[in-house]
Amino acid sequence: MKILCDRQQLQDAFSVVGGIPPVKTPNPIVQNVLLRAEGDQVVFFATDYELSARSVMASVQVLEPGAVLLPARETGQLLRELSEPTVSLAGSDDHRTTIECGSGSYQLVGDDPAEFPAEPQFDGTVELQVTSGAFLEMFRRTSFAVAREETRYAINGLLLDYDSGNLRLVGTDGRRLALCHQEIEGPDEPARAVVPLRALQALGRAIDGEQDAVLRVQLGDNRIAFQLGTTTVISQLLDNRFPAYEQVIPKVAETSIEVDRLQLERGVRRVAVLSSGDVRMVRFEFRDAALLLSAESSGVGRAKHTIDATIEGPSSAISFNPDYLLDALKVSDREIIRIDMTDDSTPARFALGETYTYVLMPISGS
Amino acid sequence: MIRVLPPEVVNQIAAGEVVERPFSVVKELVENSLDAGATRIDVALDDGGREAIVVVDDGAGFTPADLGLAFVSHATSKLAQLADLDHVASLGFRGEALASIGSVSRATIRSRRHDAGGGHEVHCDGGRTGDVRPAASPPGTRVEVRDLFHNTPARRRFLKTARAERARVQELLARLALARLDVDFTLRADGRELLRLPAGETLRERVGRAFGNALAEQLVDVELGQGSLRVEGLAGRPELARRDATLALLYVNGRLARDRSALQAVRQAYREHLMGAVQPVHFLLLAMPPDEVDVNVHPQKAEVRFLDGRRVSGLLFEATRAALRGSGAAPRAGAGAVGVGGDKPRAIVGLPPLPPDLFGRAERTSGGGSSPLPSGLRAVGAADRGPHTAAGVREAGAEPAPDALLGGLAGQPFVQALGCYLVFATPAGLVVVDQHALHERVTFERLRRRHDERGATLVQRLLTPEIVEVGAADKAWLLDQGEVLAAEGFVVEDFGGAAVAIQGIPAVLTRARPAALLRALLDGDAACGPVGEPDADARPRAREAVVERFHSMACRSSVMAGDRLDDAEVRALLREAARCEHAHNCPHGRPTVLTFTGAELERFFKRRV
Repeated sequence: MKILCDRQQLQDAFSVVGGIPPVKTPNPIVQNVLLRAEGDQVVFFATDYELSARSVMASVQVLEPGAVLLPARETGQLLRELSEPTVSLAGSDDHRTTIECGSGSYQLVGDDPAEFPAEPQFDGTVELQVTSGAFLEMFRRTSFAVAREETRYAINGLLLDYDSGNLRLVGTDGRRLALCHQEIEGPDEPARAVVPLRALQALGRAIDGEQDAVLRVQLGDNRIAFQLGTTTVISQLLDNRFPAYEQVIPKVAETSIEVDRLQLERGVRRVAVLSSGDVRMVRFEFRDAALLLSAESSGVGRAKHTIDATIEGPSSAISFNPDYLLDALKVSDREIIRIDMTDDSTPARFALGETYTYVLMPISGS
Repeated sequence: MIRVLPPEVVNQIAAGEVVERPFSVVKELVENSLDAGATRIDVALDDGGREAIVVVDDGAGFTPADLGLAFVSHATSKLAQLADLDHVASLGFRGEALASIGSVSRATIRSRRHDAGGGHEVHCDGGRTGDVRPAASPPGTRVEVRDLFHNTPARRRFLKTARAERARVQELLARLALARLDVDFTLRADGRELLRLPAGETLRERVGRAFGNALAEQLVDVELGQGSLRVEGLAGRPELARRDATLALLYVNGRLARDRSALQAVRQAYREHLMGAVQPVHFLLLAMPPDEVDVNVHPQKAEVRFLDGRRVSGLLFEATRAALRGSGAAPRAGAGAVGVGGDKPRAIVGLPPLPPDLFGRAERTSGGGSSPLPSGLRAVGAADRGPHTAAGVREAGAEPAPDALLGGLAGQPFVQALGCYLVFATPAGLVVVDQHALHERVTFERLRRRHDERGATLVQRLLTPEIVEVGAADKAWLLDQGEVLAAEGFVVEDFGGAAVAIQGIPAVLTRARPAALLRALLDGDAACGPVGEPDADARPRAREAVVERFHSMACRSSVMAGDRLDDAEVRALLREAARCEHAHNCPHGRPTVLTFTGAELERFFKRRV
């Protein structure tokens, strides 16, 4: 294989797949990325057996078709450092690839491309279509709430829940829950899958440059495929033990508050400085058309901050971990948000956008 | 063919329960002597007790009639009816001991009551009791047990060497003797005196004689009363801790008792001082009304059962903790267990007491000084930057008396060696502080103090309860103790089957995995208490599961080995450490401070031999 290509294109195509090879594996060949030159394009492919991604770099000058394997980590680091406009890659029979760029020449030792796992063929039973930028936005608003550890529920992934033209993404770690939804084109039958965060992160890197494209989502029994232009991400699904999230979203509330989001975010951020290091907690008191935020850190100090608010229902107070709240406030784009709450042992509901709901469990005992 | 066993065989079998080896014979006989009101008990062994065991006392003695029944099973003078079991104040009461002993040896009892004109004796050979005959005897009782197990050779074969049997008897006698300072004990073996414990000595003196003076010096006094309960005795400094629990002794009304939860309560008080699976040394005497404790649980009477175990555990915990705190748990000179050997200096963990003004005239090294220091040492200027530099770490509120030793070092010149050890030259010797370990202690206590001060425990409620499968016993315990656990931040509810639902966790540990926290709670040292009863351990265990996390939190947020500290930082650290409850151990139990005294340095350099 021998090619001449644009550096930026190469970096973009590589970055989609470069994060997938595993750091530790008993089978080191998958720590490589496959490059296959054919016609006037180069296909990039990487897999860790559970998750695989494929991207294509078009309009390449292919001097000699063929395939090479490049060590993912070193190649990724090297490509990030390059700045000249064109790059040439040339493979040799002993699985070495020479990258030349400007006055630099780098030889990378790969492996036999014939030994590399084949690209998975996958046709889902359900296909959904969604605008890529909108999907990325939903992902950003829900992924932070995903549990980082394994629990009894499969909440270490994002739930993708489709029903009659409505697509929902749901993330939860048992303390809070973020839900985003969107009307999309799709079939009549419902579909549901819990997708590993890593698959969506790889997809996110691909979407970054293509906000207005059509993202095709294909769902099968235990796999999911995302197609965006020539990029494909295929992932195993987590099992379906996702909690019944609709049940934890409160339907009624005693007190409802409307407040300016930016003021609230700024206020919580300030007050949280003096929420003590060991228990992160900010107290919300609603009364007389105002929201009083307060926090105290033993031996360090205390903070109070008042924000105008519209309050329906009785005065009340509730405490939250400010970090959990800020995570959601900073990805909301609504000017005025609404908080529905009852007491300190039931969840509070934050309406953070037309299609964005956040549910947060309070800290009780204060 | 089924047949009724003759009584001597029954006794031989029953004897297996009571009499296993010379040790058990001595135990039964000495307890009998104590019950008989003896003020003087002499024990003699020949060939480790194989050949003869002789116990002589000056107690009440037997009447000739009693003597005739002495070797009859369940004959006892101490208990006439069942109701008396509620008021057992004597050590032996089951009436099995002498019959059992008589059935497996050739035993002779010679006894005379103090008011009687002359004595009598009775002989029993392998369970066959002879007639009571007059014999010359001083007031009191002499029991001679010869040829133990002569008729049960299997058992005889299981006896250990004379030396081993002797050692067990010696340890037993020492342990029994600690509860009765008013009684004179002597142990002789093959004519040689092994132990002599005169009546009227203090507990500390007796421990010294029985277990060595070096050990006795490392004990602090324990004393606490509460209503009808009272505990007193001695608690060993943490450095005495050992692999086995043979010197973790608890006496209930003069009887050695092995009550798991009571001993656990004492262990709990030591928890922060001990590292790893070691057992503390303590000699605690618990006095309580006889009807509040059931001693008729085990044939060997080691186990007891308390009417109100929670109260007993609570008192033991408080008493021990207070004693350790009062002592500062700072080991005294000579306690060193680190780097000991041969002519090398004994490193002493902890500090000798220094008067507070000791350093008033101490020379100060200068940071800019040109004096050559060994590589690895860094000179630090002790220029005073004013008292305000330490103010940031000071906590408001009532302060306990600060640790004069660490406090005395604050502001003194030091070198930071190997990036980790702060070395102070003091008139008392060379003091070395492990900066990480000490800071860890300070951080840990600050976390714990804040946790305590917060009063109401904050609970991070869970949106989706975490379902955890636990064993039936654990589940019953969790649900029984629900209220107490909730007060410590663990909100747990039934979820059917073997599962519980965690509805809330302590907010201080909000990022912890709820299931892992629950495991930590259930896997604590102690087994779960009986179902359906309030468990005194529930609260401390829940608290322990939380505080346990503070250990690692403290470790992460403390200065590390290799962090350079300037003099203001060191001063602040020492001042705060001086106010810690247990400044001389890090939360994992490792020492924080080490002293090489002048005398040790002299010995090391052969100035003094």
